[in-house]
Amino acid sequence: MVHADRPWQAFYGPNVRPDIGTSSYRNLPELIRSVAETYKSGKAFTCCLPNGMNGTLTFAQVDEMSDALAVYLREVAGLSAGDHVAVQMPNSLSFPVAAFGVFKAGCVLVNVNPLYTADEMAKQFEDAEPHALIIADMFADKVPAATRGHPIPNVIVTRVAEFLPVLPRGIVGLVQKYWDRSVKPVETAHVRLPEALKAGRNRIASDHVEVGAYHQSIGHDDLAVLQYTGGTTGVAKGAMLTHGNLILNMEQAMELLAGDLEKGGEVVLTALPLYHIFAFTVNMLAFYWLGARNILIPNPRPLSNVKRAFENYKITWMSGVNTLFNALCNEVWFTDSPPKHLKFAGAGGMALQSSVAERWREVTGTEVVQGYGLTETSPVLTFEPHGKAREGTIGIPVPSTDVACFAEDGTKLAIGETGEIGARGPQIMKGYWKKPDETEKVMNGDYFLTGDIGYMDSDGYIRIVDRKKDMVVVSGFNVYPNEVEDVLAAHPGITEAAVIGVPDAASGEAVKAFIVKGDDSLTVEQVRAYCKEHLTNYKVPKQVEFRDELPKSNVGKILRKDLRAEQTAQIAAE
Amino acid sequence: MVDEFTQTLLGIMVAVIMLGMGASLTPRDFYLALRRPYGLAIGVVSQYGIMPLLGFLLALMLSVPETIAVGILIMACMPGGTTSNIFTYFSKGNLALSVLMTVTSTVFGVILIPLILLLYAAALDLEIPREDIIKVLIVLLVPVAIGMTLRKLNPNAGAVMEFLGSILGAFFIVFIAVTWVPQNWQFLLNTTAATYVAAIGLGVVGITIGYFFATSLKLHPRNARTVALETGIQNGPLAIAIVVFTFPPEQQQAIMAVPALYSLFIVMTSTLVTFVFRRANTAAEQKLPDGLL
Repeated sequence: MVHADRPWQAFYGPNVRPDIGTSSYRNLPELIRSVAETYKSGKAFTCCLPNGMNGTLTFAQVDEMSDALAVYLREVAGLSAGDHVAVQMPNSLSFPVAAFGVFKAGCVLVNVNPLYTADEMAKQFEDAEPHALIIADMFADKVPAATRGHPIPNVIVTRVAEFLPVLPRGIVGLVQKYWDRSVKPVETAHVRLPEALKAGRNRIASDHVEVGAYHQSIGHDDLAVLQYTGGTTGVAKGAMLTHGNLILNMEQAMELLAGDLEKGGEVVLTALPLYHIFAFTVNMLAFYWLGARNILIPNPRPLSNVKRAFENYKITWMSGVNTLFNALCNEVWFTDSPPKHLKFAGAGGMALQSSVAERWREVTGTEVVQGYGLTETSPVLTFEPHGKAREGTIGIPVPSTDVACFAEDGTKLAIGETGEIGARGPQIMKGYWKKPDETEKVMNGDYFLTGDIGYMDSDGYIRIVDRKKDMVVVSGFNVYPNEVEDVLAAHPGITEAAVIGVPDAASGEAVKAFIVKGDDSLTVEQVRAYCKEHLTNYKVPKQVEFRDELPKSNVGKILRKDLRAEQTAQIAAE
Repeated sequence: MVDEFTQTLLGIMVAVIMLGMGASLTPRDFYLALRRPYGLAIGVVSQYGIMPLLGFLLALMLSVPETIAVGILIMACMPGGTTSNIFTYFSKGNLALSVLMTVTSTVFGVILIPLILLLYAAALDLEIPREDIIKVLIVLLVPVAIGMTLRKLNPNAGAVMEFLGSILGAFFIVFIAVTWVPQNWQFLLNTTAATYVAAIGLGVVGITIGYFFATSLKLHPRNARTVALETGIQNGPLAIAIVVFTFPPEQQQAIMAVPALYSLFIVMTSTLVTFVFRRANTAAEQKLPDGLL
C-alpha cells in the first residue's frame, strides 16, 4: 500500500516497514545493554593505527567499561542526572566507552571536535556548560585556556592507544611522547580513564551500585546529546537530540539499509570522526545495534593511514564523504586491490559527485548509496535504497519520515515544485540549546526546514539544487553553484572547484569559479570553452581563478561563504 | 677480529631486521608488484645493474688493495636495506614501493648477487666464496617468511616486530660505531683516502644516478625519489654479516672496511637527502581537509 503523499514507499524493499512505529528500547543504555547481551564476546570495536597496531573491545567489555565509567561519573565525580559531559577525542576505543558511559550515567553527551582551537572550545563550553570533560591527551594542552572563566570540575584524560595490548600501547606512548611529540604534558588536574574505570568498578563491588537506576526513568523525550552545528551558517548552536531521536533514527536508517546486511557479520570501516553526527549515529550506534565490528581509524590523514585496516580486516561496509571516496580512488594501493568483501558504502555529509560515484563503482565494483540529513535531524532523512541509486538524487525518505518542499512564504508545495526542503519525523531535534529564537526560525509547524533548495521527482526521489543562500542570480536567471561545480569536477584537469556569485555591473551577479588544478597546463580559456560545451551561457563562469586549495569545513565541505566573504572584502578594499 | 659473541649478536640482529621486514609485507604486495612490474624492474636494474657497475668502476679506478676491492664489490652488490625503508618513510616517499624493492632485490639477490659478484670479481681477478654467500642469503629469507606469517596471524605482533626491526636497523649502525670503530681505530687511520671515497661515493653517486635513471624513465617524481633512496641505500648489515660468515678471520678486517664505513656514512648522506625529498613529497601529497581527523 503506497500512500498518495508518500510515493517513495514504492521503492521500499518487501521487508521494509513504511512506518517503524516506536522502538522496543526506552533509552540508549537499555539498547547498549541488550545488544551486549546478544553478542557478548563478539568483537564490537577495533582501533587500527597506521602501522597496523590495534586493540579490540568485545560487546561485553564495552558494556562493562561503560558501566564502570557511569558509576565513576555519578558516585566519584558527583555528577547528577542530566548533567552535561563533553567528550573530545579522535576515533579510539575510548570513544564508545565514554559515550556509552555518559548515557548510562543519565547524563548528556556533548561532542566536541578535537581539532578545535582553545577559543572555539571555550565558546562551546561556555554555551554547553559541561560538568565533566573526557579528552584525549593530544588535545589536553588546550584545556587551561579553553576553560578560563568557566572551569570544568572533572577532567578525565585518555589516549589514542587506550585499551590496546600493553606492548603496542607502550610503543605508541613512547613514540607520541618522545618522537612526534604529539602529546604534551597535561597541566590540568585530571584522572586517567583507566583509573576512573577502576574507581567505578571498586564502587560497584563495595557499594553494590545498580547502574540501571541512573537511567531507569529516562524516556524517548529526554535529552541524550548536544550536537553542535552551524559552522557553515554562522553561530554555533547545540542541537538537542533525545534518546528517542537517536534510537529511532538509527532504526529508520537500518530499516532501509539492513536488508543486505547480516546481523553480527559485518565489519565496518569508521574513518569518519565519531564526534560528527553521521558516524556517531550510523557507525557507532546503528552498526553496534546490528552486532557489527567497527574498525576505528584515529586519523585518516594521510590516506595511507587506512591502508593497514583494508589489508588486515575484511571490510564489508564503510561510510564516507565525497572527499574520502574521491581520495581513495586516487590512491594506487587502493585501486590496485580494492576491498574484496565490501558489500556497499554509504556517503553523507556533502553531495556525492556523480563522477566520484562512477569511479568508485568502477574501482570497487560496488555501489555508494548516498544519504542526506543534518545534525538537527540525528542526522538521517533520506537514503538511496541499495541497488536503486539514482544519479543526482539524495534518495528517498527513510521510513516514518515525510519530506516536502516549501515556498518562501512557508506554504507547502506540490511534488515536483522547487522550494526549501522540509522534513518531519521522530528524528527531528527538540530544538537548539538555549536558543528558542533560532529554533523557531527553522521550524514550520512540525516540519524542520533544512535550508536546502530542491524538489521531488514524481515518484519520490529528492534532488537538491542548492543551499538557500548560495544561489547566484545572473540577469534574472537562477544559477545553482552545485550544477556548475559538478561540471567542473568532471573535467580531468580539475581536482576541485567552488562556484559563487560576485557583483557584476552588467548582469547584477556573475558566476565566479575557484579551481584547484590537477593539470598544471590548464588555462582559463580552456575551462570556459569546456563549460560552454556543457552549460547554458549564463551558467558559464565569467571569472575563473586558480587556487592551491579551497577553504573547507571540518568534514570537507567546501566553504563558499568564506570565498564570498573574501570577495566582498576585496571589493570593499578597492 | 670479530669475536664469537659479536658474531652471534650480529646474526640475531640481522634476523630481527629481516623478521621486521617480513612483518611489513602481505602476499598481496607481491601480487601487486607482479601486476605492475615496471617500477620493480627499474628497481632490480638499478640495484643489480647500476650499483654493481658503479662498485666495479670505483674498485677499478681507485687504486685500492684487493681486500678493499672485494669489500667495495660486496657492498655494491647488496640488495636494498631496511634502512632505505626508514628513510623513505621519513621522506614521505612511496613506502610500499620501497619495501617491495627491498624484498624483491633480496629475493632476486639469492641468485643475482653471487652471479654478479663472480662476474665482476673475475674481471678484477678476485676470490669470492660463492656457496657460502648463497647459504647466508637463503637463511636470511627464513625470518622474512616468519615475519609475514606472524603478521597474518597477529597484526599486533607483526606491527611490533616491524617497529623493532626498523629501530634495530638504526641501532645496528650505532652498534658498529661503538664496537667496530674503536677496536679498529688504528686501521681506520691507516685506511687510505681512496677507501673513504669508495665508501662515501657508493651511496652519494648511487642515489644520484638512481634518481636520474628513474626520472628519465618517466617514473612519477615521488616514486623516482623512492627509487633513488632505494638504489643508494644498500643493506649494510647484510654485507657485514656476509663478510663475517664467509671470509677467514685474517681477511675480515680489511674486507669489512668499506661495508662498515659505508654503513656509517650512508646515514649522514641519506639524512641530508631525506630533508630535500621530504619537502618535495609533502608538496605532492593528496591534500585532505583538516577536520577529517
